[in-house]
Amino acid sequence: MAKKILLGLKSTWQNLSISGKVAVAILILLLAMAIFAPFLSWLPHYRSSGPPLHPPGWPHLLGTDELGVDIWAMICYGARVSLAVGLGTALLAGLGGGIIGIFAAFKGGWVDRFVMRLIDIMIALPDLPVMIVLAAFFGPSLLNIIIVLSLFSWSIPARVARAGALSLKEQPYIKMAAHYGAGPFYLLMRHYIPELLPLILVSMIRLAGMAIVAEASLAFLGLGDPTSRSWGLIINHAVNFKGIYFTEYWKWWLLYPWLFLTLLVTSLALLGRDLERIADPRMVRMGVRS
Amino acid sequence: MGVSIASIKQSIFRVLEYALAFLVIISLNFALPRMMPGDPFLHLSGEVDEVLTFYSQKQVQYFREYYGLDRPIHEQFLTYLKELAVGDLGFSYYYKEKVSTIILDRLPWTVFLVVSAMALSLILGIALGSYSAWRRNQWQDQVLYTVLIVFSEIPAFLVGLALLIGLAAGLGWFPLAGAATPFAGYSSVWEKIVDILHHAALPILTLTLARTGGIYLLVRNSLGTVLTKDYMVTARAKGLKEFRIRYLHALRNALMPLFTRVAIQLGALLGGAILAENVFSYPGLGLLMRSAVVVRDYPLIQGIFLVLAVGVMAANMLADLAYKYIDPRTRPAAGLKPGAALPLPAGGEKGDA
Repeated sequence: MAKKILLGLKSTWQNLSISGKVAVAILILLLAMAIFAPFLSWLPHYRSSGPPLHPPGWPHLLGTDELGVDIWAMICYGARVSLAVGLGTALLAGLGGGIIGIFAAFKGGWVDRFVMRLIDIMIALPDLPVMIVLAAFFGPSLLNIIIVLSLFSWSIPARVARAGALSLKEQPYIKMAAHYGAGPFYLLMRHYIPELLPLILVSMIRLAGMAIVAEASLAFLGLGDPTSRSWGLIINHAVNFKGIYFTEYWKWWLLYPWLFLTLLVTSLALLGRDLERIADPRMVRMGVRS
Repeated sequence: MGVSIASIKQSIFRVLEYALAFLVIISLNFALPRMMPGDPFLHLSGEVDEVLTFYSQKQVQYFREYYGLDRPIHEQFLTYLKELAVGDLGFSYYYKEKVSTIILDRLPWTVFLVVSAMALSLILGIALGSYSAWRRNQWQDQVLYTVLIVFSEIPAFLVGLALLIGLAAGLGWFPLAGAATPFAGYSSVWEKIVDILHHAALPILTLTLARTGGIYLLVRNSLGTVLTKDYMVTARAKGLKEFRIRYLHALRNALMPLFTRVAIQLGALLGGAILAENVFSYPGLGLLMRSAVVVRDYPLIQGIFLVLAVGVMAANMLADLAYKYIDPRTRPAAGLKPGAALPLPAGGEKGDA
């Protein structure tokens, strides 16, 4: 089993385009940054450790903000917030949506129609205004943000899983298995889930990227978790510093969190796009992604 | 083929579905202040730079009466619906004005941004997408593809920040904030238009950059499929001019999926506009929503939310219904069950605001 996964990873890596490979490298670096944050930053990320608005230099690699907090340290720990939001949402929405999608395809009939209409509505509903309203009313905590984001993004894996399960349903070998007396549970565990899991995992990468963008957007608007110190929150503080554009400060205070955030979300999106192409070329034609 | 019974039936179903969606939005809006954790209006909130908002006993009393929380819930809901029906969105206690008046005042700016960005990204996306499709797999196609994909994956507000830093703060080509020069005495209408366009240029550019990639990809793929169709061979065999083949035969068929796609993406575009307005301090609904959040002006937040959500859903409904009459392929053929209609050609794509 482990060998099979390794082989799968190897062939996936070989099929990645150049942008996909660069994206993987960047993501691994950022992941390492989040995990080893305490070792990478030697200054505290939650309190002042030097003069305010100090330009990049030693010991403040990327300078300090208006309270004298080290920006490199904040960025290292901020990576944890972004990745936690991305991972949490991807798991919750990806698995939840995947189960709903497979269930809808499996049951068919009015269950399927109901789920499809629900998906249509979720796609048409403008998510950012809803998220702003919910964050404004329920208070901005990381957990709330993950739950709201999941509520709004389960429709993507659900649609992918449903489309995949519907086409599996028509496959001769599955019909044959059912004919020989395979029950629904056996079919699910033996055929549907192993076949559809890669597709759902791929859509989870996209979900993670969207969730990170959404968290950063909310934080940028001042609706992020005030205790979390995410990259979006650093940007929010920098932008709200009166007259920052007339000073030099944006050259480190705004630029670096912007750079890391852009790198992270762009890498995730490019990798997701590449994997979608590899996982199932039909998906592109079916219009699940175009 | 005229309008068949089945297609009318299907349209009615569609409208009912959307009616249900509207009801969900309205109920959500009604329920929100009543579902807030703890005692809603003792909610205390402060952010690092923001003014701490504290409610005095008097204000709490005001809110209780404002929302009619002392009355039974169904009575509250009915009153709420009645007020909505006559366009009453409530009263903003911060601006001391009717919510509907404030929103109408700001709405044109947001609509201006969204419509201009959509038009521009459509033009750009269609032009570049068809160019790419004609040159499929040549170097021009490869370069365009890579550049546009990378751009479309960077979220709008990060692109906006980069433009603000680079073009407005760094080079000084564009103003840093606002929709027009404050207290400017214009000598002519023309001057005023130029000033407004100058202020709107960067927000519109931001949104256009974020949206063009998706449209480009759709046109490129859809045109690529159309070009392999038999009727293209027929058109060439008939000896039609290249221009006619390209624009009347191929492009027209390839653009069909774009129609629903644009409507579906309206929500994401609006999300992008909210953020872009905040990046460039552009006085539309997005900026208003943020300032309403900062001062916790709940009636105003709800009013803006309702207007945005209902607007996007209504646009989707219209596009959905109109699409059936534009593209004959989605009309149900006689004997085909309405629910089991053909798959929509274009899948929606959420997010990437």
